[in-house]
Amino acid sequence: MSHPQRAAAFTSDAERTTWHDETLWFVRQKRDKAVYGIPEFQQLRQLASDIKEHTLSRLDEYLEQFEQNARANGVTVHWAADAEEHNRIVLDLIRKAGATSLVKSKSMLTEECHLNPYLVKNGIAVVDTDLGERIVQLREEAPSHLVLPAIHLKKEDVGETFHLHLGTPKGEKDPQALTEAARLHLREKFLIGEVAITGVNFAVAETGAVVVCTNEGNADLGVNLARVHIACMGMEKLIPRTADLGVFTRLLARSATGQPVTTYTSHFARPAEGREMHIVIVDNGRTRQLGRPDFRASLKCIRCGACMNTCPVYRRSGGHSYDFTVPGPIGAILSPNIDMRQHSSLPFASTLCGSCTDVCPVKIDIHAQLYKWRQIIAQEGELPAAKKLGMKLLSSVLARPGIYRFGGKVAREGLRFLPHGLTHAAAFNPWAKARELPEPPKQSFRDWYAQQVVK
Amino acid sequence: MKVGLFIPCYIDQFYPQVGIATYQLLEKLGVKADFPRQQTCCGQPMANTGCEQDAKPVYRHFVDTFAGYDYVVAPSGSCVYHVRKHYDVVEQTGAVQHVRQATYDLFDFITSVMGVTELPGRFPHQVGLHLSCHGQRGLHQANESEMTPVREGQLSRLLRSVDGLTLTELNRNDECCGFGGTFCITEEAVSARMGQDRVQDHVLNGTEVLTGGDMSCLMHLEGIVRRRQLPLRVMHAAEIFNAALQQPSKPVSTYVPGAVAAL
Amino acid sequence: MSSRESILAAVRRNRPEPTPLPPVADFGGEATVEQFTHWLHFIGGQVIHIDPAQPLEEVVRHLYPEAVRVASDLLPATVPVDAHTPTAVLEAVDVAVLRGELGVAENGAVWVPEANMLHRALPMIAQHLALVLDHASIVATMHQAYAAVQHTGHYGVFIAGPSKTADIEQSLVIGAHGARSLVVLLR
Repeated sequence: MSHPQRAAAFTSDAERTTWHDETLWFVRQKRDKAVYGIPEFQQLRQLASDIKEHTLSRLDEYLEQFEQNARANGVTVHWAADAEEHNRIVLDLIRKAGATSLVKSKSMLTEECHLNPYLVKNGIAVVDTDLGERIVQLREEAPSHLVLPAIHLKKEDVGETFHLHLGTPKGEKDPQALTEAARLHLREKFLIGEVAITGVNFAVAETGAVVVCTNEGNADLGVNLARVHIACMGMEKLIPRTADLGVFTRLLARSATGQPVTTYTSHFARPAEGREMHIVIVDNGRTRQLGRPDFRASLKCIRCGACMNTCPVYRRSGGHSYDFTVPGPIGAILSPNIDMRQHSSLPFASTLCGSCTDVCPVKIDIHAQLYKWRQIIAQEGELPAAKKLGMKLLSSVLARPGIYRFGGKVAREGLRFLPHGLTHAAAFNPWAKARELPEPPKQSFRDWYAQQVVK
Repeated sequence: MKVGLFIPCYIDQFYPQVGIATYQLLEKLGVKADFPRQQTCCGQPMANTGCEQDAKPVYRHFVDTFAGYDYVVAPSGSCVYHVRKHYDVVEQTGAVQHVRQATYDLFDFITSVMGVTELPGRFPHQVGLHLSCHGQRGLHQANESEMTPVREGQLSRLLRSVDGLTLTELNRNDECCGFGGTFCITEEAVSARMGQDRVQDHVLNGTEVLTGGDMSCLMHLEGIVRRRQLPLRVMHAAEIFNAALQQPSKPVSTYVPGAVAAL
Repeated sequence: MSSRESILAAVRRNRPEPTPLPPVADFGGEATVEQFTHWLHFIGGQVIHIDPAQPLEEVVRHLYPEAVRVASDLLPATVPVDAHTPTAVLEAVDVAVLRGELGVAENGAVWVPEANMLHRALPMIAQHLALVLDHASIVATMHQAYAAVQHTGHYGVFIAGPSKTADIEQSLVIGAHGARSLVVLLR
């Protein structure tokens, strides 16, 4: 299925679409308010972009520096070329620890690598501890948003899920009560304390520390009670200096939710006495993206989700319509690098309005990259045949004014004289499902103009 | 000053009144524009679909058509943005560079080149301005709400200067209408929904005349307005200014399609 | 070739032309108690001004009359906690009263390094958290905070308000997994 098909299914529930749109627009508004309050916000975006671009331009050196410092801190550093190797490394570490269960805080990388199903298949019980992640995990769904994984669900849906899995009273849908139930349920899991997996928001080369940002405190609670901490990071998470965190922590939460900062900004550099800490650095297509000059800027992404909240298409089609770990505009430029054929409809799931580019805290030219992916997808022959042929035909007409004038006249006259039922038949003309065609005038502009000149 | 008028294909065939209003408005402001007959299209529909390579002959034709003019003016920010931004894939001859720099959206031309920021005339209606993305975020004709609260842009300033005209305060200042070129066909469901939501914002906030600087967005919105038979009239801003500058006793426009609710 | 070598080799092959690293930012800003208080309230926390002369245990007893198990190194605690305290004991702590090193006016965050935590999990596992902060140690922004902290150490956290979530329909709920409330005792 392509994005338009999944999006059409989503919008067919008009009421839920309204709710989804308005909820995320509210987040965008909170973001605006936070941004307007920081006079230097645009300078911060530029700084963040410059820091990330610099880091990418010397990524090998920073990776080595980071590894060296992490090792000196007593951390074991692992390297994974792809998702499969990442998953194998994590499983080995769990087995070496003699553990059969683990708690995991939010990590888009482990989603990208499909770690959960892999571990479950190998007999490990995985508990996602971020509330939204836990909700979608219990429902056996994928997250639909980077920051708000369960934003596609209503409280009634969550209530039903918790009734089924956590034994909350049937019909309970109060977010406060449901969150309390999750708190009690997940505390039990935290207390077992075997292995804790976290993602990484920033990895600081000069100290070897990884920084994890959460609102719930689940990353810290998990790590600090477990014997083994495994931090999984994409290699693009690096930044050179501790001081750079000042820039990124000022941007991240404001862009994501409109908060001035996340509740917990946690810096992990050395395991507590008697405990272990591991960092898994993952490539999984990132070096390939680094080698694409038009697309490498996507590696600056700090996963704030602002482009989703602002995207008028995402808000009305839902995260699952993208069928990729990272949905929304940023997902639409990351996914073709992973599998162009499978995700060929995603760069077209945009009007190129440019709002994503304008909210991006690290100034990724998202809409420009969408445009560029379209060119590549067309060149690689991944456009639907009808579209391709149509465009070829259109170009040959538009380069020949004589044929163009004739064609335009035929279209206009046709519209004037053909019956409405035929010109507006949804089967032939998707435009007309929800819209009237323009009323064809008797005379074109060029005919009118010709008369003016004669006069 | 030699000004070439670029009237995008769909305006030529389906919205001639917008072309006429553009021509007449410029004339009233003292610019006699020329319409070179061999013009076709800027090539955006192909390029946005990924067929930039196929569009190159169209780009060259556009440049050949307009190379001899000091300025190229179009009542469509989207086409202008395309010429300026995306004609970088053909050889950058002197003619190409000149045409890219010289192509202006009508209101950018009126404001930035001619220095006109206020227009006389009267248009006693509540007008809702749709900010088209390519004009706003692409050509910076208005500031973006992503950066700062939306303040006076070129078009809203011109509109406010017209006697009797009040501008609608919208819930969402600058959200995309969902037209998006071929997007409106390939992503029909989302496109229609976006357009419906935009129109609804105008209906809720009292817009009588829905306007903008880009006829492609307005074509999409008008299609929704007419399907839903809403009490809104859709006019390109050039039509409003052209009408406002006429004698107040004359009818607003002589070329509005019949099915729209009369004012 | 190991994955490490092959990844680094691919990076070297594909990395772009070098660009400069911009200097560390500092945009000034207001390092005031008012700003700090405003933002801490905004994110669900509370500022209470205390008299340095008043014994801390009185303040805490007054604030948390129901609390039985109090962990702290700043007042006579009822639960002794150190790095080796078992989870079961930690889990029962009602209130942790710890020292904050630094407050950030622009967002209400307080820097708590490992040395101030007694146990790394204590600030999150305790049901309620109170951080004692010197009003002179408030800085304006995160830039100044990191400049003052210099090295984030083995483990350290900026804590900004109580634990919270909005994962169900964007409804804000205070008390997700970490502390249900956060009070900054400003002296």
